[in-house]
Amino acid sequence: MKLGVFVSDFKLTVDTLDRLKADKLGIILVMNGVYHATLKENGKSSSVLDKTSNLYALSEDLQTRGIKDSDVDKRVKVVNYGELVDLMFNEYEKLAWL
Amino acid sequence: MGENVKLAFIVQKPQYKGETSRLGITHAISYQTVEILLEDGELVTPTLCFVGEGVLGLQKGQKAMDMYGVTSSETHIKNALLVDLDVFICKEDLAKYGIPEDSLPDAEEMGADKKLQIVPYSEIQKAIEESKHVMFF
Amino acid sequence: MGTLTIGCFPGLVGNMTYDFALKLADVAATKGHKVNIWFSGNATGSVKNHQKHLKDYSTGEKYLTALLAKGVEICTCEACTVARGIQKTDAIEKVQWNAMHWYLAKVHKSDRVLQIGGE
Repeated sequence: MKLGVFVSDFKLTVDTLDRLKADKLGIILVMNGVYHATLKENGKSSSVLDKTSNLYALSEDLQTRGIKDSDVDKRVKVVNYGELVDLMFNEYEKLAWL
Repeated sequence: MGENVKLAFIVQKPQYKGETSRLGITHAISYQTVEILLEDGELVTPTLCFVGEGVLGLQKGQKAMDMYGVTSSETHIKNALLVDLDVFICKEDLAKYGIPEDSLPDAEEMGADKKLQIVPYSEIQKAIEESKHVMFF
Repeated sequence: MGTLTIGCFPGLVGNMTYDFALKLADVAATKGHKVNIWFSGNATGSVKNHQKHLKDYSTGEKYLTALLAKGVEICTCEACTVARGIQKTDAIEKVQWNAMHWYLAKVHKSDRVLQIGGE
């Protein structure tokens, strides 16, 4: 199963995310979920970034919050809406919004 | 022969404060009438699963109608059983929150053949994998 | 090109999840995908016509009208909508009204489904 998971919150969705298993898991950080890609709480990166190597953050939601691409963790690929649509159709067969 | 599309409805939010979890149940129940919009032989087969805080709203004896004039989650769950939905409840999450399995409702008195199925999370993961689409509520 | 169905439950005003859903739909439709949107819960309030776009608040009407013009099918849950005091005569034209099985029927025919839960 190729599963793309949209993470739209900074705090609330980790329990469910921890449990989801997939042959290919993608995590797409949108809305306040983009803070997972940028904040280091008490000096530590978000554990969400350790769950897969397929990590994406939505450019428009980063820019909305005044975050520069250079502030984004190197493991995370910044994508715009057009690239996000391509990811949804080409890389993941199922999608989940948490 | 038309396609039978399996869907996993995963209720993860608690009931009552928000309506998302209730809408998850009622959307799953609506499979009963979807055939009027499908071609002959096409089917939708949902599995309704409760995980995490979603298991909190399953207690029997709910009085939502008496207190607030709205249909209880218990009634919605019974309706789901009445229309022969497979309803999976995560065993680990019931244990995590200390909810006894015998505190959950059934719809036997309403004539339902189905019962709630208390299953390990691995069964819910399997339902997700076997479904064409997964929807979280 | 494929078919994307978006289930959108969050309300128009008060958070920006709704805005995300519409922007995603617009980009997918512009790329040539078939897009369906199902409104349920608080999202159904957004089909009310004559919305005033104040800059501090999200707006739905002009974006919904543009999506409809692009061929995006948009349907609102009738029960959720009338529960909010909105009748068909008060609603944006060409938005469909139906029951939850409309959504499941569209999902049946979709390559991708994104169910966005509400508040």
